[in-house]
Amino acid sequence: MELFKPELGLSFWLLILFVLLFIVAAKYVWPIIIKSVDDRADLIDKGVGYAQEAQKQLENATENAQKLLSDAHRQQMEILQEAAQMKVRIIEEARSAAAVEAKKVMDAAAQSIEQSRRAAEEQFRAEVSGFALQIAEKLVRKELSDDKKQKEIIEEMLKQIEKQN
Amino acid sequence: MYKLTNMKFKRCILIITMLLAIPFATTIKASSHAEGDGELNVKELIFHHLLDSYEWELPCTDAKLPLPIIVRDYQGKWHMFSSSRLSHGEEYEGFKITHEGDNSGKVVGTDAEGNEYRPLDFSITKDVSEIILATIIILILLLSLARWYKKNPNKAPRKLFGGIELLIEMVYVEVIKPILGKDAKRFAPYLLTIFFFILTINLIGMITTFPGGANLSGNIAVTLVLALLTFLVVNIFGTKHYWKDLFWPEVPMFMKFPIPIMPVIEIFGALTKPVALMIRLFANMMGGHMITLVLISLIFIFASLGTAVQSGTALFSTIFALFMGVLHLLICLIQAYVFTMLSTIFIGLAQIHGHKEEKHEK
Repeated sequence: MELFKPELGLSFWLLILFVLLFIVAAKYVWPIIIKSVDDRADLIDKGVGYAQEAQKQLENATENAQKLLSDAHRQQMEILQEAAQMKVRIIEEARSAAAVEAKKVMDAAAQSIEQSRRAAEEQFRAEVSGFALQIAEKLVRKELSDDKKQKEIIEEMLKQIEKQN
Repeated sequence: MYKLTNMKFKRCILIITMLLAIPFATTIKASSHAEGDGELNVKELIFHHLLDSYEWELPCTDAKLPLPIIVRDYQGKWHMFSSSRLSHGEEYEGFKITHEGDNSGKVVGTDAEGNEYRPLDFSITKDVSEIILATIIILILLLSLARWYKKNPNKAPRKLFGGIELLIEMVYVEVIKPILGKDAKRFAPYLLTIFFFILTINLIGMITTFPGGANLSGNIAVTLVLALLTFLVVNIFGTKHYWKDLFWPEVPMFMKFPIPIMPVIEIFGALTKPVALMIRLFANMMGGHMITLVLISLIFIFASLGTAVQSGTALFSTIFALFMGVLHLLICLIQAYVFTMLSTIFIGLAQIHGHKEEKHEK
């Protein structure tokens, strides 16, 4: 069968042409194409990686922002609470200070009243003793002689009166 | 979009069908001329189409494109002349195309004693011209694709180049890389070249008229050379371990000494691989061409049985031939893919390293 008989000439030309094609393609075509295809695949892989990382970072940033926001909220609450406490304290302090001041004023007033009362008493006593002396003098002059012993008795009696007062 | 592609596809099929018919019409006319009595010689017709020839039929006419004949006679002298000088059985410089015997359809010479002999024949036949055409087409496409890549780094090509890149990815990323691993870059140029070469000659073989019309990958000489190249690549680049496995495999001693049973089986296996490659591609492509030829010839065989039978056969044959043609188009791609894949596997099998090394790698 001719169909199964390889022709030498055809084989020869095919070999020549195929080797020629292979040399040209191996030198000028495949390295470039394979490099491009591989490079592009790498680039796409890298791009996908970057996108995933960016997504992750975005999620992280959102989380961080959320955290910051809640922190700020908490701080605000704390500050408000502190302010309220301070207000109460200040009012309390003011009140106690006022009470102390009022007490001081009251004390001072009481002291001055006492003082003036004592002064008045002293004066009164002096006057009363004066009056009594005068009365007694008049009485004694009229009834008694200038007896020393009787004068002492009167003095003593006057002192007793003073003490009673 | 779908509608457009569909229409394009339909138009494609129509054109293919019409192109199928043209060379048949001319050849049948030509053969009936030759026979003289109007009798159709189907066997001759089919083999005429399957085999190589010294001329290239042009469509729509009886004219043929003459091709150069290069032969070396029995005295060692080279002759080169146009094939038009040998048409219609003419003789030139002691050479003619015979139609009898083992060398039917080939150029034969007559020596001093008047005996016919087959000279060394390096003619640029139809098949050789077709290979030149295929080589030029591949080079133009691939070189322009490479230039496109250089100009547009990190961009994906569209349209035609996108299609070629799809094929490259199909072979390189899906087959060569997973099978060969780190050796992929070393063998990819050969494997990709052989894939595109087979695919192109397969597809050119599907064009039935002038720029095509040759049954290239269905020619055993072509598949023989391609399988031989793969065989050479496998064995030249085979590792030491591969050769050791071939001649001294790790089997019990009685199986390799004194009678080398296993080595014989191994070597036989290594030799059958390229033979299988050769026959697979050859049989598939030749079968595809033959079935179309037989189906179309049926129309003319049944012509003698009357108009009704002939019309029925014509309808049936055309539809069936069209179906087979579309199937064959698919086979063109599949066979190129299979040849490349098997070549890759054979190369991969010859790239085995020692067990220690393998463990170390893991």
